[in-house]
Amino acid sequence: MSSTITTTAPITQQSRPAYTLPSAKTVFSSLLKADLTAQWRNRRATIMVVLIPSIILISWKSVVAFKGGAFALSNCIAIGLNAIGLMGYTNAIARDRDKGIFQRLRVTPAPRWTIIASRLAVQLVMILITTVLLFVIGYQFDHITLKASSYALGFLTAIVGGAVYLSLGQMIVGLVKTPETVNVTTRLVFFLFIMIGQFASFGAFGPEITAIADWSPYGTTKNILAAAFTPGAWVNQTNMYLLACLGYTMIFTLFGIRYFTWSTK
Amino acid sequence: MNKPTNQPVLEVENLVVRYGSFQAVKGVSFEVQPGEIFGLLGPNGAGKTSTLSAIEGLLKPNGGSIRISGHDTREQPLHARASMGVQLQSTSFQPELTISEIIRLFAGIHGIELSNERTAAILADIKLEDSASKRFGQLSGGQQQRVSLVIATIHQPPLVLMDEPTTGLDPQSRRQLWERIEAMRNKGHAILLTTHSMEEAESVCDRIAIIDHGQIITIDTPQAIIDDNRDKPEVIQASRKGRITLEDVFIGLTGTAIRS
Repeated sequence: MSSTITTTAPITQQSRPAYTLPSAKTVFSSLLKADLTAQWRNRRATIMVVLIPSIILISWKSVVAFKGGAFALSNCIAIGLNAIGLMGYTNAIARDRDKGIFQRLRVTPAPRWTIIASRLAVQLVMILITTVLLFVIGYQFDHITLKASSYALGFLTAIVGGAVYLSLGQMIVGLVKTPETVNVTTRLVFFLFIMIGQFASFGAFGPEITAIADWSPYGTTKNILAAAFTPGAWVNQTNMYLLACLGYTMIFTLFGIRYFTWSTK
Repeated sequence: MNKPTNQPVLEVENLVVRYGSFQAVKGVSFEVQPGEIFGLLGPNGAGKTSTLSAIEGLLKPNGGSIRISGHDTREQPLHARASMGVQLQSTSFQPELTISEIIRLFAGIHGIELSNERTAAILADIKLEDSASKRFGQLSGGQQQRVSLVIATIHQPPLVLMDEPTTGLDPQSRRQLWERIEAMRNKGHAILLTTHSMEEAESVCDRIAIIDHGQIITIDTPQAIIDDNRDKPEVIQASRKGRITLEDVFIGLTGTAIRS
């Protein structure tokens, strides 16, 4: 079978057009566009991540009346952040690593940090969308109204909380190699955080477990969110929770970078 | 426009790669010139993939140097990677992206902005104009290889690396790919490919290197390697039906034991 090769302008080694190394910004833009497209095409998984905290928030009308809007909203946003960081980001990274997608990117002049930064930027967009959605659902269904400053502070604390879970996810994918084991691990951690965090919030486990849960990644995130939504509730203790969030992020990130491999082979 | 030069596009000098205490590559040296197809042959575990991975920047060598278009891969890794295009043995792209989007992504990574018309023209060139909105996984093996090759050469790199490019292809697809590789060579690209196929090495490669136990045994044109070794007893013993082929020389030089 003959093949007719329609050539582009003939290029020889000597006449190769001058090649300028693309800037990190250009590379990052290309990666971000592709990653956002991939996230959009994966709508089913995206919707599930947002759906779980939304359903919980809608079904917690009585909890809002009993414990207040800030409690309900902070818990649900924490669940959403948990889902984005652990289920969404981590499993996608593990899957793509196993398929060799990162290896293909590594043999290009893309600086390695842009590959992961693009993925993280997409998750940041997810965090912002989820937070806004929960604000809207909280207002529409549970009549939770907050001051503008509380919404703004809520956004910022959601980003901090998101950083905790994304770095935890990065650590998991750094320490665990196969995508199946990553999947099991993230589901286990998600379940543990939610169950212990939720029940401890209601005082189901006693003061010791409640204190441990309070200082867990789930608890510290939930607590800074709750303080952000309640005027005057941001006290010294909240600063400690915030420091704990930043500490968790730093430690998880260190482990995540140190042990991460770009390929499972 | 650059002046013509005899500067090799790829210079590998005393390359050493270790995995713990095991030395996979033991001081390998070779060069690939512009407008040349250079084949790297060796049995399983010989050090081919480690050599190629070190050149591609996927692993850090433990010794030696690699220069691509004059850029040292350790001192100027981004420039070195920009001077090469890589077709990996098993390539995968994000399953959610279409072929067009994948091509535009990798063009964008090289700072090349492709219009829709230009992307369509690229796809038409590889006979995939009707597959623009398909996902990579929906293509046949031959189509995937064509797309991978286009992506590897979208920025017209001086050096193209291909890891067993025709594995799993039917004879027609394999021949088409050979023609494309030769067309790239004729345009002035330097091509380094690894292969298990002696037929491919003889048919396509201008020069080949046989590597075994981490060291290069011989480098020359396929015919010269056959001529230089045809009288060796181990090669004659390996021959079938009396005619000495490159495979006979390869078996004679590397042995008949099966490598895991």
